[in-house]
Amino acid sequence: MNGYFKRKAEEYRALDGADRRRYWTDGLLNNALYILMAVFIIFTAVVNRNFLSASSISNIVTLAAASLPMALGIGGCIVLTGTDLSGGRVFGLTAAMAAAFLQNRAATKLIFEHLPNTSGGWILAVLLIVMLVGAAIGLVNGFFVAKFSLHPFIVTLATQLITYGVILMFFQINGNGGGPISNVAQQFKDMVSGPAIRIASKNVSIPWYVVYAFILVGVMWFVWNKTTFGKNMFAVGSNAEAARVSGVNVFKTTVLVHTLAGALYGFAGYVEAARLGSITAATGLNNECDAIAACVIGGVSFVGGTGNIGGIVVGVFVLRIIFVALNMLGINPNLQFIIKGGIILAACSLDMRKYLARK
Amino acid sequence: MAEDKKAPSGGGPLGKPGGLYDGVKLSRKNADLLAVASIGLLVALFIAVLLLADGFTVTFDAQGGSDVPAISKLDYGATLPPADPPSREGYVFTGWYRDPSCGIPWDMAADTVTEDVTLYAGWESAP
Repeated sequence: MNGYFKRKAEEYRALDGADRRRYWTDGLLNNALYILMAVFIIFTAVVNRNFLSASSISNIVTLAAASLPMALGIGGCIVLTGTDLSGGRVFGLTAAMAAAFLQNRAATKLIFEHLPNTSGGWILAVLLIVMLVGAAIGLVNGFFVAKFSLHPFIVTLATQLITYGVILMFFQINGNGGGPISNVAQQFKDMVSGPAIRIASKNVSIPWYVVYAFILVGVMWFVWNKTTFGKNMFAVGSNAEAARVSGVNVFKTTVLVHTLAGALYGFAGYVEAARLGSITAATGLNNECDAIAACVIGGVSFVGGTGNIGGIVVGVFVLRIIFVALNMLGINPNLQFIIKGGIILAACSLDMRKYLARK
Repeated sequence: MAEDKKAPSGGGPLGKPGGLYDGVKLSRKNADLLAVASIGLLVALFIAVLLLADGFTVTFDAQGGSDVPAISKLDYGATLPPADPPSREGYVFTGWYRDPSCGIPWDMAADTVTEDVTLYAGWESAP
């Protein structure tokens, strides 16, 4: 570590005036978002004492864990220089399905009347079902992108709309009339959003899905870094032509990345069903924007072939902290959308500048 | 591979060197300018929303009783200031609740404001 800094210092001393200026502008601009967010977080902590309280921190961790799976999925699509705009709606559909399949059997108004009673096995089976549904939509996305050379922005925009149509129809099943799907079985809630860790003295608890999210981070880290599929994904992302020439199956890799992303939205939707216990047709709207913003903040570049799981985790947390802070400062939730858009725009222009400066 | 014949770039529009920024023609100076401008815009946005921040509003739905004015500009984590209870002919006020059906009571001493809320008055027939 010490040697690293010594080497960096020597490199810096070797630079002339113009290069030194360059060094500082590069450093400042490449990290501008982090600097800005750090200033904002410190400001919030000073203005509002509650921000650093145990309950607020556990709130941030919990919210971040709920949005992690989606960001991990979309991250892969961005590594391929694409994106996935269908994420939020797939999340909504799978959340609605999980809620409908796992309704309390004793409730009066059920979406499906002939389903097995809630048991550990059925709860796991539903997880598998919703992940498969998500994966199927992802497969469609990946297939159209890879086979017909359509840009992911277009393909996933189309599947976003199609999925929304399916969601609206789903909410009409059995005379539901578009109302929310609620009365989720308590056993399902206990398994997913029940407390895993409880600190009674501080009156905070960490739900199980935080643990699941961290397991998922581990699994995705392994997939990205230690498997052939992960290495192929980065190869295709940085240069598809070169990857193809060196024997990578670009078609299969592209389809798999989108399929995996879909399965992860399914997982996220499943958690949401237990977390909220009541799902509406609007659930998941614009969730993909949060996930994309988190990835771009976390250094997953639209240049393709760059990004890592650790960066995505940091991005998700930074974004969550910002929104919890904005809420604590009493800022209208409507204005928070404007901030979100601003963050995506700024993050992308910084990302592009980084690419142009390297060229 | 058969699929590569149809899509010679194999994988479609993805994975061009430069990715989404492939073919962007922007001088280094203008790229710097764009970056500075976008960060400046974001800073301005943050300042603007902070200036526009007007705290949280708690509105009261008396559910048939006398009107109770809303309380605005509350800080995050604030408890509600004491207020005169509403009145209603033939009923006794039982307190404020988070839901119209009066299932979840609002504890004036312990419950804190973390978002805009509406509280509903609870009523019991007078003996």
